[in-house]
Amino acid sequence: MIHGEDNELVASVLASQDTAAFGELIRRHQSHVRNFLRKLTGDISMADDLAQDCFMHAWDKLQTFSGRGSFIGWLLKVAYTTFLQSKRKSKRYAEILDQVGHASEVEGRSYAVQSEEVGDLDKFLAVLTDEERAIMVMSYACGLSHREISETTAMPVGTVKSVIFRGKEKIRTSFDIKDHQHG
Amino acid sequence: MTSKIINMAERIKDNEDRLLESMFASEPIADNGFSEQIVRRVRRKLFVRRLTLPIAALIGGAFAYKSLAGLVSALYRILLQLPGDVVGSAANSLPSVQLIVTGGLILVAAILSMNMLED
Repeated sequence: MIHGEDNELVASVLASQDTAAFGELIRRHQSHVRNFLRKLTGDISMADDLAQDCFMHAWDKLQTFSGRGSFIGWLLKVAYTTFLQSKRKSKRYAEILDQVGHASEVEGRSYAVQSEEVGDLDKFLAVLTDEERAIMVMSYACGLSHREISETTAMPVGTVKSVIFRGKEKIRTSFDIKDHQHG
Repeated sequence: MTSKIINMAERIKDNEDRLLESMFASEPIADNGFSEQIVRRVRRKLFVRRLTLPIAALIGGAFAYKSLAGLVSALYRILLQLPGDVVGSAANSLPSVQLIVTGGLILVAAILSMNMLED
């Protein structure tokens, strides 16, 4: 077991390509990243594949972590970018399938609820756009501040706040949120 | 001051925020070999990256061997045509062309391999 702050581990990885230190960073943050991606995609296996890609990208781009913000904030930024890239690829794939005359299953499936037991959270997330979902998850599930979300998503803090406001509004209008308070 | 006010404002959460937090909260996911799998992928990637340069140098060397031998042989001939008192006996004691080219290639491969092992 390797001890030390995230920044020390990052420095060790950058200085000597220390895979053991990188492994410790993954162990510390894999749960957050996988939960974030599971909530974004609604699909456990897709989320875990994306999480693997995210950590591989993180290895390649670790020198871009400035150390000013939190490491988990930076990691969620990589995860969000990986998610968006995967979405773009799926869209291109769907377009190619359409061109060759196959009905596309990928297009329009913005949020895949995998389980038969659809929970309240799944219903809430399904009414949100990708951007709203990502920001709501960063705020309410990962506990990032508005400033950290702004750095992660490269959006102004005001925009982050208005996206959260809009997301809450959508959830409020789609569901009677007070119903869940006691049940 | 402004950032403190923003932080305080962020901390003031209403019931709805707390409810959303509890709904978004999730159980930690067990690692179950996930991190080890990625570390293995990273190590494999590093290994391949370190092997690429020496292998490429060897393949390039193999392809360039004939041309290199020709070049060294031409230089060798030029050297031999120089007046004896300029070059002296050094020209006569030069090793064969093949030996020079092979030696050079082995030297380059050895340096690259040492670098790879050092990494």
